[in-house]
Amino acid sequence: MPRPEPKTITFTIDGLEVQAPENVMLVDAAKHGDVEIPVFCYEPKLGNPVGACRMCLVEIEGIGKLQTGCSTPVKDGMVVHTQTERVKIAQQAVVEFLLINHPLDCPVCDKGGECPLQDITFGWGPGHSRFIEPKRHFVKPLELSPTIAIDRERCILCYRCARFSQEISEDHQLVLLERGAHSYISTFDGHPYVAPFSGNIVELCPVGALTSLPYRFRARPWDVEDAGSVCTLCPSQCNVTLTVRDDRVLRVLARQNDEVDDGWLCDRGRFAYPALGGDERITEPLIRDGGELRPVSWERALEAAASGLKRAGERTGAIAGGQATGEEGFLLARLLREGLGSPHLDSRRAGTLPLELHRALSDPALQAKISDLEFAHSVLVLDADPIEDMPILDLRLRKGVRRHDMKLLEASSEDLPALRELALSLGQHGEDVVILWHERLTAGPNGPAATQALLEIAASLSMSEVPGAGLLEIPAGSNGRGLREAGVLPNAGPGLCELDDAPGRDARGIAEALIAGELAALYLLQSDPLEELPERDLWEQALERASTVVAHASFLTDGLRAHADVVFPSEAYAEKEGTVVHPDGRLQRLRPAVARPGKFGSTLAGWQVLAKVASRLDLDLGVLTGSMASQQLFDAVPFYAGLTLEEIGGRGVRWQERETAVTS
Amino acid sequence: MSDKLLFKDIDEPGLNTLAVYRRRGGYEALRQALQLAPEDVLKQLEASGLRGRGGAGFAMGKKVSFLPKGSMDKYLVCNADESEPGTFKDRELMQKSPHMLLEGIVIASYAAGANRSFIYIRGEYVLQADVLDAALAEAREAGYIGEQILGSEHSLSLVVHRGAGAYICGEETGLLDSLEGKRGNPRLKPPFPANQGLYQGPTLINNVETLSTVPTIMRMGGEEYAKLGVQTSTGTKLVSISGQVRRPGNYEIELGIPSREIIFGLAGGPLEGRQIKCWFPGGSSAPVLTAEDLDVPYDFDSLAKAGSMLGSGAIIVVDDSTPIVELAIKLAKFYRHESCGKCTPCREGTNWTVEMLERIDSGEATPMDLDIMASVQEHIIGNCLCVLGDAMAMPIGSMIAKFRPEFEAHIESARARADLNPAHPAGHTAGHQAGASEQALAAQGAPGA
Amino acid sequence: MTPVPRYAHGSRVPGWDTPADLDKDPATIPGRGGSPSVPVPAELRAEIEASMALYPNSHSATLPALQAAQRLHGWCSPEAIEQVACVMGLTPADLAAVATFYDMLETEPVGRHSVYVCTNISCSLSGADALLAAVQEAVSEAADGASEFNVRAFECLGACDIAPMASVDGVYVGPLSLADVPALLDDIRAGRPVLPEKQLAKRACADVEANR
Repeated sequence: MPRPEPKTITFTIDGLEVQAPENVMLVDAAKHGDVEIPVFCYEPKLGNPVGACRMCLVEIEGIGKLQTGCSTPVKDGMVVHTQTERVKIAQQAVVEFLLINHPLDCPVCDKGGECPLQDITFGWGPGHSRFIEPKRHFVKPLELSPTIAIDRERCILCYRCARFSQEISEDHQLVLLERGAHSYISTFDGHPYVAPFSGNIVELCPVGALTSLPYRFRARPWDVEDAGSVCTLCPSQCNVTLTVRDDRVLRVLARQNDEVDDGWLCDRGRFAYPALGGDERITEPLIRDGGELRPVSWERALEAAASGLKRAGERTGAIAGGQATGEEGFLLARLLREGLGSPHLDSRRAGTLPLELHRALSDPALQAKISDLEFAHSVLVLDADPIEDMPILDLRLRKGVRRHDMKLLEASSEDLPALRELALSLGQHGEDVVILWHERLTAGPNGPAATQALLEIAASLSMSEVPGAGLLEIPAGSNGRGLREAGVLPNAGPGLCELDDAPGRDARGIAEALIAGELAALYLLQSDPLEELPERDLWEQALERASTVVAHASFLTDGLRAHADVVFPSEAYAEKEGTVVHPDGRLQRLRPAVARPGKFGSTLAGWQVLAKVASRLDLDLGVLTGSMASQQLFDAVPFYAGLTLEEIGGRGVRWQERETAVTS
Repeated sequence: MSDKLLFKDIDEPGLNTLAVYRRRGGYEALRQALQLAPEDVLKQLEASGLRGRGGAGFAMGKKVSFLPKGSMDKYLVCNADESEPGTFKDRELMQKSPHMLLEGIVIASYAAGANRSFIYIRGEYVLQADVLDAALAEAREAGYIGEQILGSEHSLSLVVHRGAGAYICGEETGLLDSLEGKRGNPRLKPPFPANQGLYQGPTLINNVETLSTVPTIMRMGGEEYAKLGVQTSTGTKLVSISGQVRRPGNYEIELGIPSREIIFGLAGGPLEGRQIKCWFPGGSSAPVLTAEDLDVPYDFDSLAKAGSMLGSGAIIVVDDSTPIVELAIKLAKFYRHESCGKCTPCREGTNWTVEMLERIDSGEATPMDLDIMASVQEHIIGNCLCVLGDAMAMPIGSMIAKFRPEFEAHIESARARADLNPAHPAGHTAGHQAGASEQALAAQGAPGA
Repeated sequence: MTPVPRYAHGSRVPGWDTPADLDKDPATIPGRGGSPSVPVPAELRAEIEASMALYPNSHSATLPALQAAQRLHGWCSPEAIEQVACVMGLTPADLAAVATFYDMLETEPVGRHSVYVCTNISCSLSGADALLAAVQEAVSEAADGASEFNVRAFECLGACDIAPMASVDGVYVGPLSLADVPALLDDIRAGRPVLPEKQLAKRACADVEANR
């Protein structure tokens, strides 16, 4: 589907000639001239403007009435005034109207200090009110859901939250009830507003009407710090801003990145943060002593891990979990291959994929990016359930269907002839088709055939040539793609390069070998096979048989509690430094927002633990800082060549879009 | 004028049936229109100069011509919401001559290239909707509505859609949202319905009276029709007169006759012993005029020049027994109740205005509050999403401007009353109102009939 | 200055002060995506489905559907709304948003027969407020008042020519005097045509020159 090609035009605003992309709304165009037009209801993320709050009224020469800047597309030669007496009177009038029933409870309002209504009142309001009637008073705050409180006194009826529910998440649970001055935001018959993305309404609210219950009264905007990072709770890898106070994460906000998340967060990403500072976190190294895991010094734990691994030597296997960074994975691979001489490591859940297929699937020309989902003629969701596998895509797919007439279809790889027929019918006139598929397609006895079929379909649809077409894989782990590219695979090194030696065992093979006694030790990097990998029974046995199990973990899950011999506390994403790779190939940078749990100064980062274990195995990994680990990774992966953390920055970089984008 | 166009056979028994309507020449205009090319039908409509009879007074032919050409789905929507206070002309047309409306719809849809049509009738008009449904069944049966009408290439479906009680659904875009099954919130314009209306498709929206006039225009010819009335207000108009007059009801007049002729000549003037205090010339949304304006010709431009508007063609006469504050409260409360709540100035402004008026009435205001109230009206006008806010602010503003001394006197006497009897501050008007109502009821006896 | 009752205008809107019941499940579309279906009377289902078929987009049928449910249930009760939601494939919230917007859709239980007394300008100029008070008084004094009658002040009903007037279950009658009130209520109770001689349906056009 054709994407809009912005054309630059020149218009005049407050006497200033300004260039802006044609047809963007005046409020956005004005920013190009450093002119701010105040808004409440306007939020481009929510789709078409509604022009309800009337805050953005401006004067346009040649048009009699004042116009809403949020809904007037800028045209070449347009002459706009935002500072005239007429506009000022209208702006002051709207502020006065909005405030007549708005309570004066800013001192006890969570929004105070970061409130658009405060700011706009200060900047564009009349400075006084002539309303002497009693204001409305209601019971407040009320629970709207287990995580969201509603204060109807403060609501200025901008409809952002209801529009989110109607037009973005399309759950249609949050609506306006009643009419006119009686209107209020509510759900049906007292049902709570519970939906996968409900928390976004708190962030959308331009006043303190919708507040987060976990954040309520925890902090003031002036005593918190914002820290940008990436949520790695799932492969969505949404960009976030963490609100930090006294070294604790108190809130997670979206950090809009249209190429990743469109500025939305799922409720898990938004509300799971209390666990970061929870009592369940592992804060000290543990070793098994008399059947129980007991806290010990770092030194003892490192020693214990190293000696166990040394004993096993090349009979060691390793599994890296989805949340581990590329750097951690890369260092783990070096530890195994160079330090222990073992090729047995894996990060995939779906079993070994022949290297040539792996490479074919990773062909840069075949890779769709997130925004392609929105503009594609059609998207075929194959063996995947976006809301479970990569929730944020649910919103992107809805957006594509709603705003760009994208055709959305679902299919399964169980019936390959039917799949082939369906897929080819979508692109029979050269349309751009995106196939969104999940790693599980490659698993099982049908996996190789399905993978082959997928590649054939991609070829038949000329995906590498049709702009906007392509494949997009959802890996099972959050950083599944990053770990594979870092070489955490049994049959490939960094950058999917061929190994000099014979390939190792994949995850299942490792389990079998442990049971058979062919492998003795297991290194678990942020992975508990009982939780993450299929065939729990098999893994129960394998863990039981393993003589040494070394783990990096944030929480003591069942498998670790029962079987780990050494456990290193592992950082959660808010504490971690390093890079992850988004399913579409975007390298994104994690920045530590708060300190690792544990005694300050005495704790180690994941990469440090790996380096220290390696040195005890007489392998010098050569990393003294987190950025040195990143640099090693970038140097080792051919298609990351020349990359720096600065280049990745806050928005990330898709390696396929860099000049060195070649797979081999 | 002696020859009625819309009211020609209006009380003919059985005119609501196809048989009688046809006997009176019904559906001949349709037959005639279908023999012309759609563009030629459009030419007749443009030549007639017919301006929309719903309130805005936009030239109907021009509106039809705004619809894009092409084969996309186009819609015709008849606005039968008739919710402007004081207006009840469409009710009489639909109830007594439903086929005239249907015929007009089919002809207009032919000119506009629309193949789906809807009559959005206010839910309160139960009888009229039933009559329309019955007429629709007959017309369908006779082949006037449906596939290949009268053997032509034109097809049209029609649904009578009943509203459920909301003034704002008379606003064309609020109506469209309501017809799409949503809350009747007006939409931003542009885009205009002609381009993106119902289901985002090109849509022609016209009032009942406008569409009912179409068969007459086809019969007479556009140019001939344009000879009636005055230059920019051609043809005849149904006027609903109500309030404190002797013979309230619907009258068909030729546009441009003096307003006095309608109020005094047709409706019999004010009740015994009363003087006209003020009158709304075009529904309650029109700024009030006073007795001094009675000689203003009743047409679009003359009323605009006089500072008001023809609106829906509904004259409400208020005599000197009614305190202006009482009238203002009634009016403001109505608009507060009917504000959809979507945009700020209307939602908050109507609410604030009511509260100020109540304060004035309960003796808790000073003349300074009148300035605030007048300024609030100015802050509403022109700043809203649709015209509902203006529809309150213009008449309220006009009342303050024209009756300021009475407002001030009211403030004074209410304050005095409140000071005397602090236990019952409110109720000045309430008390008065009851008295006035009883008088009115007594005076009325059995009027009309 | 006399104090204004401070919270008098506060809680007039049902719902403003109500929190969500966190023990309830979210109100998604009944019968879709794993949420439980609700039983719908067959006639209601048929009526709603017939309405949905009339429109290019079945969403347009919300008003006719809610009207049908109201006829069956007496008001747009949560149960009624859930039934409509189930048939139309909408969330109950979408329908509640519509139901609370329109004056003729009742979102609280009401008496069986609706008596809308127009109190807009033209009618009140002719004594509608006293008429409304009289009807309300008569109904409040009657034993069957609450169950039989739903007396409401209504905005302009479009019958200012018969002011003051009322719409009784959709039948327009007027002009009404205070003396008409007992007969009006009696006719409703007896299921007779209300005040036959005052029904709008029988009225001739006021324009004496009409019919020419």
